[in-house]
Amino acid sequence: MRFRPLSLVIFALSSLALVATQVASADPPPGRAPAFHLATPHGSVTLDSLRGKVVLVDFWASWCVPCERSFPWMGALYDSLAPLGFEVVAINLDKDLVASDAFLARHPTRFTIAFDPDGKTAKAYQVKAMPSSFVIDRSGTIVLAHRGFDPKKATELEALIRKECMR
Amino acid sequence: MQLDPASRPPSVLSRLRAAACVLLAVGVPAVAAADETSPRYQLDASTLLYREAGRVTVIEPVARITRLFEGGGSLGAEFTLDVMTGASPTGGRPAGGIQTITTPSGNTQTVSAGEVPTNPFRDERGAVDVDWQQPIGTRAGAATGAHFSLETDYQSIGVSEKLSLETMQRLLTLTVGGGYNRDDVFPVGGTPVGLTSNGERTGVDRNAKEVLSVMAGVSRVLTRRWLVGINASRSKESGYLTEPYKVVSVVDPATQEPLTHLSELRPSTRQRTDLLASSVYHLSRDILYLSYRYYWDDWGLRSHTVDLKYRFELGATFLQPHVRAYAQTAADFYTLSLANGAPLPAFASSDQRLAHFNSLTGGLTYGFRLPGHAGELTVRAEYIGQFDRLNLNAPAGEDGEEGEDGGAPVTPDPFSPLSIGTLTLSYSRSF
Amino acid sequence: MKRTAAFAVVLALASCGCAATAVQPWDRDLLAKQQMRFVPLRMEYAVDQHIYFSKEGSIGGHDVGGGGCGCN
Repeated sequence: MRFRPLSLVIFALSSLALVATQVASADPPPGRAPAFHLATPHGSVTLDSLRGKVVLVDFWASWCVPCERSFPWMGALYDSLAPLGFEVVAINLDKDLVASDAFLARHPTRFTIAFDPDGKTAKAYQVKAMPSSFVIDRSGTIVLAHRGFDPKKATELEALIRKECMR
Repeated sequence: MQLDPASRPPSVLSRLRAAACVLLAVGVPAVAAADETSPRYQLDASTLLYREAGRVTVIEPVARITRLFEGGGSLGAEFTLDVMTGASPTGGRPAGGIQTITTPSGNTQTVSAGEVPTNPFRDERGAVDVDWQQPIGTRAGAATGAHFSLETDYQSIGVSEKLSLETMQRLLTLTVGGGYNRDDVFPVGGTPVGLTSNGERTGVDRNAKEVLSVMAGVSRVLTRRWLVGINASRSKESGYLTEPYKVVSVVDPATQEPLTHLSELRPSTRQRTDLLASSVYHLSRDILYLSYRYYWDDWGLRSHTVDLKYRFELGATFLQPHVRAYAQTAADFYTLSLANGAPLPAFASSDQRLAHFNSLTGGLTYGFRLPGHAGELTVRAEYIGQFDRLNLNAPAGEDGEEGEDGGAPVTPDPFSPLSIGTLTLSYSRSF
Repeated sequence: MKRTAAFAVVLALASCGCAATAVQPWDRDLLAKQQMRFVPLRMEYAVDQHIYFSKEGSIGGHDVGGGGCGCN
């Protein structure tokens, strides 16, 4: 088979260059968690009002399959750690309210659901993947930014949250 | 699968480039990973009912089962059965009077005046395809495929591999792939010696054909609604590429009446390339699919394909009309017939698939969920027409000159345009 | 010549669109739909591949993948 070596080299180099740009972009360095003021099903929520608690901020949408898997896990974690001053704010990024309502009907929660349809808060948190979760300590600093959700790897995340709650 | 099997007595020659190509055609899509709440198996079943006006009828049931794994991988097995009956053109020309033809298996057949010589047949083909898809980390994936098919005179075995990588915040996907096919052609009655009319056989009963193919593609999310992609593939075929049951007529230059038939002969290599550009665009409710493909090979054949689908989303159901336009130029050695007395060319074929023609497809798909049931059903009816086949290699005149485009008068193809109707029923369910 | 043109298109496709206009991860609601793929109906696509390979002289038409919800 006659290949054109030059073409293959160009293709390979372009691929490597594109991969390199992907690797170079890292997670945002932990710092002050951006404030937000968002609507909830029964009112509104602000991050400032949760100062002094360990907060898990999770960005999700109804069309994101791993998000669906994270809800039971977040619910169990909230039930377990709420007495220690732990809050979950699950920020919904759906543009279609019908879809998010259907999702919430399937997964009723005891933790806070907030709505960010314009994505302004997601942008402030520099969300890079769906879902994305941020663990914020009692002083309002981001201690961990986590992309995606895998039930098998959730134990590490859980361990970190429990450690924060013990402080 | 060969839907217009060349005139064979009971069996059919399968064009199984389709094997390697369909393997490469399986992408590495985002498969929902399985866990307690999401599905673990998917069942897909379909049946094709295919009919060419006055020629071939095919019924093709396909069943596929896929096991979905946690973490996003999958393992699938697909079983296909083709049952083909009908009559298919030999490549010979119709005559002014009654023709008596000896078929490759040695039977004689009488063809009426003006009738296109055909051979009746019935054949079955079975195929098994297995594919395994596995994510690699969070940004890449691999798909491995294997194929096996068998019919009376053809066997095909193939493997393929495809790797994909998501970059640029998952907006750009790079894919590379390769495939290898090893086919065996064992014609009924032995392999005819090319361009002879005396029924001479080569003595080789089992002919090998190898296909090596590579592909590379890039797809890009342009906007929230718009996905585009471009890809290129190249394949090299070598070995026995001739259709053993097809013939080329030798005609009297003055009367154009067929005098005898020679078995056809094609080169033993073929290098084929195609470029495909695709677009998927989501309007406010509906989706538009558009693609263009340009193909060329070293047999001189070139083609353009434009495919357009519009999906009307109607809540729980959808309606999708489809239009496809195709234009092909003839292979260098395609000829309607050879002139008696002229020197024999190195290669010659009268197979309509290598001719210059245009084709238009129009179809409609309707998809719906059965009430109270988890599966989805789609029904599609399509019409495919092939027409405007021009014979650009007009038979040589008395002085032995070949007719050329713009030179000697172009003879319209005496074969009637081909009409095909298809009905495809598909069912899909996860559990 | 054809090859150069093809590569130019590929590189343009790959490089166009800077961060300002890039599609954000939370804007992939439409792309996440099963219908938003180059080959949304798998069985019909396989049937078509068989039919056109058998009736025409060309090959090609491959599903490249891409798009999707972009979830981990």
